[in-house]
Amino acid sequence: MMANIESQASSILLECHKITKSYSGVVVLREVDFSLKHAEIHALVGENGAGKSTLIKVITGVTPRDSGTIVFDGHDLPVDHTKAAALNLGIGVIYQELSLIPGLTVAQNIFLTREPLLPGIGLINYKKMNADAQALIDKYKFPLKATSPIESLSIAHRQLVEILKALSGNAKLIIMDEPTSTLTSSETTLLFEIIRQLKASGVTVVYISHRMEEVYALSDRVTVLRDGKLVTVLEKEQISPAEIIRLMIGRTLTADETKRAMSRKNGKPVLEVKGLTSVGRFYEISFSLAKGEILGIAGLVGSGRTEVVRAIFGIDPFNTGEVLLNGKPYKPSVSRAIASGFGLVPEDRRQQGIMAIIPMTKNIGVTNLDTISKVSWVSGRKEMALCHLGIDLLKIRPKNPDINVGNLSGGNQQKVVVGKWLVRNLKVLIIDEPTAGIDIGAKDELYETIQRLAREGVSVICVSSDLPELTRLVDRIIVLREGRIVKEFAEGHVTEEDVLKASSGILEGGNHDN
Amino acid sequence: MSISSLRRLILILLLIVLGVALSIANPAFLTMGNLMTLLQEAALYGIVALGMTFVLITAEIDISIGAVIAITSMVCVNFLVHTQIPVPLFVPVAVGVGALIGVFNGFFITRFKLPDFIVTLATRGILSGLAILIAVKEGGFVSNVFIQNPVYLWFGSELGPTHVVTIVFFLLAIGAHFLLKHTRFGTNVYATGANINAARLSGVNTNRTIIGVYALVGTCASLAAIFISSRMMTALPELGIGQEMDVIASVVIGGTAFSGGIGDIPGTVLGVLFLALIKNGILKLGISPFLQPIVIGGLIVVTVVVDTWYRRLAERMISQAALRRRAAANAAARA
Repeated sequence: MMANIESQASSILLECHKITKSYSGVVVLREVDFSLKHAEIHALVGENGAGKSTLIKVITGVTPRDSGTIVFDGHDLPVDHTKAAALNLGIGVIYQELSLIPGLTVAQNIFLTREPLLPGIGLINYKKMNADAQALIDKYKFPLKATSPIESLSIAHRQLVEILKALSGNAKLIIMDEPTSTLTSSETTLLFEIIRQLKASGVTVVYISHRMEEVYALSDRVTVLRDGKLVTVLEKEQISPAEIIRLMIGRTLTADETKRAMSRKNGKPVLEVKGLTSVGRFYEISFSLAKGEILGIAGLVGSGRTEVVRAIFGIDPFNTGEVLLNGKPYKPSVSRAIASGFGLVPEDRRQQGIMAIIPMTKNIGVTNLDTISKVSWVSGRKEMALCHLGIDLLKIRPKNPDINVGNLSGGNQQKVVVGKWLVRNLKVLIIDEPTAGIDIGAKDELYETIQRLAREGVSVICVSSDLPELTRLVDRIIVLREGRIVKEFAEGHVTEEDVLKASSGILEGGNHDN
Repeated sequence: MSISSLRRLILILLLIVLGVALSIANPAFLTMGNLMTLLQEAALYGIVALGMTFVLITAEIDISIGAVIAITSMVCVNFLVHTQIPVPLFVPVAVGVGALIGVFNGFFITRFKLPDFIVTLATRGILSGLAILIAVKEGGFVSNVFIQNPVYLWFGSELGPTHVVTIVFFLLAIGAHFLLKHTRFGTNVYATGANINAARLSGVNTNRTIIGVYALVGTCASLAAIFISSRMMTALPELGIGQEMDVIASVVIGGTAFSGGIGDIPGTVLGVLFLALIKNGILKLGISPFLQPIVIGGLIVVTVVVDTWYRRLAERMISQAALRRRAAANAAARA
């Protein structure tokens, strides 16, 4: 293997060999090979949970790998190499959440912790710093000024500052994680030009994206991951959006599990949403939800799916449009929603779902104070009984009502968040990413629970990035893209491929190869 | 035994050890008179600590309570000096002052999303200025009023072997315990402090909860002011200023987490007793009273360091136990 690398030293920048990584017993990367050439644009694609982010974290030293070798630019990276070491070697990462400091200028951000000093006295040499920053900006012809404060820049321009920050450390490799998810289309065009310029100046760019047309337009090569394993590496001439999607999903389309006959629910709608618009978030969202129906909302991260359900639950306000509950106009607010029989399982379990440091009884009890307390007195006995009911309904393990929820496994934490609604007289359950970060066993149990609820007449809205989950679980799917409903799969058959194509903006009749 | 009950046990043991050590070092410590004085001292600020427990569990902080004590005692002195209104009639008004200030604090923090520290710092400044402004004056100078009203002095008097305030403190502690553990308000306090986002999405009116805890601690501070001024038989506008440090210290020593969500009233009562014991001990051992703030400051640091350390340890133990369970389950599945 070493001989192989040495012989190709001129063209290979990064060589990862048999990288394996597991988190608390769950294998997320299994013997993955990944290699990058000098001065190429390389796309890394895969469904959510395919292992893209973990691979990046391993390469950049954010998390140690279990086994496998990484050689970067002739240097062997040890198993537990640090972020700082990776940076020093020339590996730069640009995350979705930018790490710039507002209040400082472009130059100050670029040279943060590496400021040039005046000799002897240790004061910052601003003249040199600004000049160096401007020289760097001019070298890549970025539309920036070294002395502009960060808060005066658009998101796209801030991204450029991040790129410069990496380049100023002599980055040979720049990794971009979903860089266009927050950009407008003209900003995206600018970013593409910049990426091609980087390539021209000898920098390798790894590009992670769910938007297939971008991958298609930009990449020299594409690495496809699925379920923590390498599927294949596509060369330039093999790349087509439809082919990438097929490889990402990786199952033949005739398999029963990917194809699901959509049942058609009739009857009076429980919930109707008409022309809901929140400027900057989503526009003209209309749909209705029948009794006992499971409606799926698909779309990429940032497509507005979470924002829509938050507005319906009354967390965030909206500008225009109306919501009807059982045919009557309804003005969303969290307290009214809960009183009317809505429940919400939010997307981010740790930040919004659980109260980790307090016991399960209180996590479940707090949403149900109306049933466990009279006037204001909370009955400890009723609180305990309700918690036991939740434990039984959802098979929460361990069966200990007094345990702090933070000490449960991810799957059981999610069951608690679902459970606090199930013990109520529920009419509409909104569940955002129902199974993010939980293991297969718990997933199946949650699916069964949701389907049982629907049979019992509860209407469910399920937002998910997990396409197999949607196609398996729901009766109907609406697909959001850039805040608008672009497609509805109302009846007949739907496949993961159909949904993915709609969400990533590949129009029908385009690059079909099946 | 759970980590929190272990911590509770250690605090109780420390109390006992400290008590025994002091009794040996100075025979004057273990006398009925000294113990009752100790309890009285503990109770005076302990009343505020009860309210502060709610504030800290909600992950909030109130540093204006010292100034609330000052302004309330000035209000009382004014009633006593300038009016003939009987004590039972103006005392509820004086207690209402603290509640009102608490509502004011809570309103600004929730309505305008301001940092709790800044709002209560500002209130603290305004109130201490107001206290001087409304103080009873003689020839332009603040006069040292001697309180002689026998009804008012009842609050600072003895009752049986002990003092009125000591009994009130323990009764209030029982009430506060039930308020925290057995009411909707208490449940909302824990939920808001543990995770304000999750609490909001669970239907908790977090703003009302936050305003509630500030009103509660304000009420406690005003109530304490009446007992303190009655006991001192006098009141100056700086009464109570700076006492927030001792109050917060005793709550934290009692096991309430500064970051919210964790804590209870029995812990606070222990923390209050512990701090009073330390203060009394410094006095009884003939150590300079100027060392008191240094010792209390040091205690806060030690408590927080130890708390942080054992919470991390507990988390690590739990995650390792989970790993072992998973490994065992995997092994069983393979077999």
